[in-house]
Amino acid sequence: MTDDKDVLRDVWFGRIPTCFTLYQDEITEREADPYYLLLPRVSYLTLVTDKVKKHFQKVMKQEEVSEIWFEYEGTPLKWHYPIGLLFDLHASNTALPWSITVHFKKVVELLFFLKHFHCNLFLVSRVRERLLRSANFPEKDLLHCHSKDVIEAHFMACIKEADALKHKSQVINEMQKKDHKQLWMGLQNDKFEQFWAINRKLMEYPPEDNGFRYIPFRIYQATTERPFIQKLFRPIASGGQLHTLGDLLKDVCPSAITPEELNVSNGVSDFINSWLFSVPYITWMASRG
Amino acid sequence: QASDGGRALCDTLFPAVDVLLKAVGDTPIMRTKKWAVERTRTIQGLVDFIKKFLKLMASEQLFIYVNQSFAPSPDQEVGTLYECFGSDGKLVLHYCKTQAWG
Repeated sequence: MTDDKDVLRDVWFGRIPTCFTLYQDEITEREADPYYLLLPRVSYLTLVTDKVKKHFQKVMKQEEVSEIWFEYEGTPLKWHYPIGLLFDLHASNTALPWSITVHFKKVVELLFFLKHFHCNLFLVSRVRERLLRSANFPEKDLLHCHSKDVIEAHFMACIKEADALKHKSQVINEMQKKDHKQLWMGLQNDKFEQFWAINRKLMEYPPEDNGFRYIPFRIYQATTERPFIQKLFRPIASGGQLHTLGDLLKDVCPSAITPEELNVSNGVSDFINSWLFSVPYITWMASRG
Repeated sequence: QASDGGRALCDTLFPAVDVLLKAVGDTPIMRTKKWAVERTRTIQGLVDFIKKFLKLMASEQLFIYVNQSFAPSPDQEVGTLYECFGSDGKLVLHYCKTQAWG
């Protein structure tokens, strides 16, 4: 594992240069400049965008501010997906910086206008309904994120689910509450050493086993209906040899790989173990060949 | 090992999975505990269903746990959870009005 420390650091410190712009229909008192930020691939949008919020709130009235959400070319961005995954899924083929649109204005002006022109009450409520549906929070696509606690709960649930697969939850359950907290604080404060002091225990297995019980992985594809592929997959084949990433892909989404790609990914046997890093799952963006 | 086509066929032939719902603490117990749930039903969809069945208010919270250890994301599909955490042909889910396992 110490040999892989360079790789662990590269994954942890991966950044995506991003440009945030306010949704153009959200009329403000003065125009807001775009805001530039380097986003950590391993983190979550709502965890790392406090500065973005503060920047755009400067041009808005306090009563107009509602829950912030982000969109890329019309697609609402799921904050509960790691940032790196969102980028790979939606924008990996476009030029940097990644351009994200920010939404957070409550729709109040039109209601004021209608009320002042003595509009029929029924008409007001119908129009209001349509406006709220189109301009406000996309309930069908996004989870709400009212506080950092929600992000922490989601992150810890992912860690726990991964450990349920790796160790039947034994390692995560043996840890104290303060260890769980340290994982979260490490992520929140971008502290590699603090995070890995605990996470390395989640990456170990007894010497008599040759790996985890099952590999926690999710495969996301931009081109399919289902959100992701997640199945049980053992790190050791029946003959005793270690499975590679290529074996995993061949098994769970064979249509996504060409034979040439397969040869390249049939690398070092414990490659598959060494990629289980800051995110509990291997996230792999398979593009249709 | 199932290929993409195999899985699609599997989903068509067996679109639902057996789910066993267990109450935690003093959460009301459902009269019917075993349900056939569509694979693509999300946890949120299941929560809404349980709330309706138990006549809970929409504003009341309901937490769902897998393996008595983690709360899956509301958008997670029951079919995926069944594949990974099901045993003896069913997925056991615990539900609670308060947070039970963090």
